[in-house]
Amino acid sequence: MNRSSLHFILAAIVAVALPLFMRSGTLASEVLIYAMAASACNLLLGYTGLLSFGQGIFFGLGSYVVGLTLLHTPLPLGLAILFSIVIGALVATGVGWLSIRRQGVYFVMLTLAFSQFFYFLAYTFKDITGGDNGLLNIPRPDVGPLVLRSSWAYYAFIAIIFLLIFATLQRVASSTFGRTLLAIRDNEERARAIGFPVRTFKITAFAISGAVTGLAGALHALLIGVAPLSNIDYHMSESILIMTIIGGTGNLFASVLGAGFYVIVSDLLSTIWPRWLLLLGGLLVVVALFMQQGLWGLLERIILALRPASRTAAGKEPGRSPL
Amino acid sequence: MSAQAPILAADKLAVRYGSFLALSDVTLAIKPNTIHSVIGPNGAGKTTLFHALTGRVQASSGRITLNGRDITHLSDDKRVPLGIARSFQVTSLFQNLTVRENLRLAAQGRTPLQALAPWRGVEPDGEATVIADQVMSRLGITAVADRVAGELSHGQQRRLEVGMAVAAKPRLILLDEPTSGMGIDDIEAMKALIRDLGRDHTVLFIEHNMGIVMNISDTVTVMRAGRVLVEGSPMVVRDDPEVRRAYLGNMMTGDIA
Repeated sequence: MNRSSLHFILAAIVAVALPLFMRSGTLASEVLIYAMAASACNLLLGYTGLLSFGQGIFFGLGSYVVGLTLLHTPLPLGLAILFSIVIGALVATGVGWLSIRRQGVYFVMLTLAFSQFFYFLAYTFKDITGGDNGLLNIPRPDVGPLVLRSSWAYYAFIAIIFLLIFATLQRVASSTFGRTLLAIRDNEERARAIGFPVRTFKITAFAISGAVTGLAGALHALLIGVAPLSNIDYHMSESILIMTIIGGTGNLFASVLGAGFYVIVSDLLSTIWPRWLLLLGGLLVVVALFMQQGLWGLLERIILALRPASRTAAGKEPGRSPL
Repeated sequence: MSAQAPILAADKLAVRYGSFLALSDVTLAIKPNTIHSVIGPNGAGKTTLFHALTGRVQASSGRITLNGRDITHLSDDKRVPLGIARSFQVTSLFQNLTVRENLRLAAQGRTPLQALAPWRGVEPDGEATVIADQVMSRLGITAVADRVAGELSHGQQRRLEVGMAVAAKPRLILLDEPTSGMGIDDIEAMKALIRDLGRDHTVLFIEHNMGIVMNISDTVTVMRAGRVLVEGSPMVVRDDPEVRRAYLGNMMTGDIA
């Protein structure tokens, strides 16, 4: 069994296991929604080497687009979600196109600037977005025979989408396109010298990332029945990045781990102590200092330590992992 | 042979870095199917010339033509499909990818838009993979095909560096100091490789090792201070009093004879 199918099976196990261990369908749904957003972020950060603070833009827009479509048009849910995906891709293409003109710190600053820009845009146009209050009373209509009103039914709907998206992103990551992104991350100059139009590849990565993030945003708005201003806030970009980094950027399943960990631990900590963000900050410091491969890297080290010595050699190759 | 139209020609080429004129008034004609070397002391503008010819650096003035087509303003990635590929003086590989993947990417670079399809997998018998395997056997690095490039020995990395240019199946191949930092045994093997490449490519290379330059070049261009000092056959260049003066006290290695 190759690594890709193993990771897909692990993702499927997560999707099936969450309802067994969690009491709240809403929280379980959030795990999968953020898992999609973090995986999309990982495509940029881990595969292309782009630290984007703009993921919240696409997430928030996805929320607004699905909400506005369902509130103001008679269109079905599927189409409303599709609009969110398309808008996510289009805006990501624009943001990417402008941001990748600069590299390193300036690229990061540009994505941050766009993030603020879209936040204040949403804040200013209160008539459309609801401003501070958010876009309220977003319905969750049935999809054909599927009744999504109960939170676990909606969870099942999200789980199917999650697995489809996960498989799609895996395909993208292992395609010639994904391999070229890895090459660009490794050595952009050389990638250009051997003939790749690096900017086109980066913009395409942005578009795919934006599409998936927009979808995640749409599913989130449908989950809570609101498209809150916080979904397009700079803090959303930050949370998605933190999940991605905590999970690890080596593969896509790591992002599922990161999102699950972040959502569940945040929920636990917030019931214990109102200043739980402080603890999360401390955790991030630990990851940055000692666990740069994230939770996935930690898991890998544990598995390596438990394996018989004869089989560890294969896992020692950099860029390869035992799983 | 002199009647043949050049494959690559530079006409009054100049490159300016701020107020520093790195290259000025360089006129050069590379004849097809020849091995053409560029020599000169450090800082003569050899690498800048390569950067300008491959499009990494845009010429400040002058004109570059490839088979008569003006490519002066094309970016570096757009020159690859036209048949130009290069290697770097400072090894520049995809350190975290395997040797095979490095070469497969280099072969794919000729038709980069095919790689833009996110649904297309890497076919084990695809054209680019086949080319990668051919280049590995030509370079004698098949044994390390599945090793990560960053793990190779210096000599192997230098070979792969040249292989990256070969995998693009160029008509004109530019090698920037292919023997840089190599030990004696590796240098001999590299010399044989360049000579071998000269049979099915036009080769333009920068080299400090006079043994290689004088042995395998058809034409030698000597540069100094951003200009062409002398150009001619190895014999002509060797006996040129200007060249002898330019090189006095400079770091040149190998036998001039």
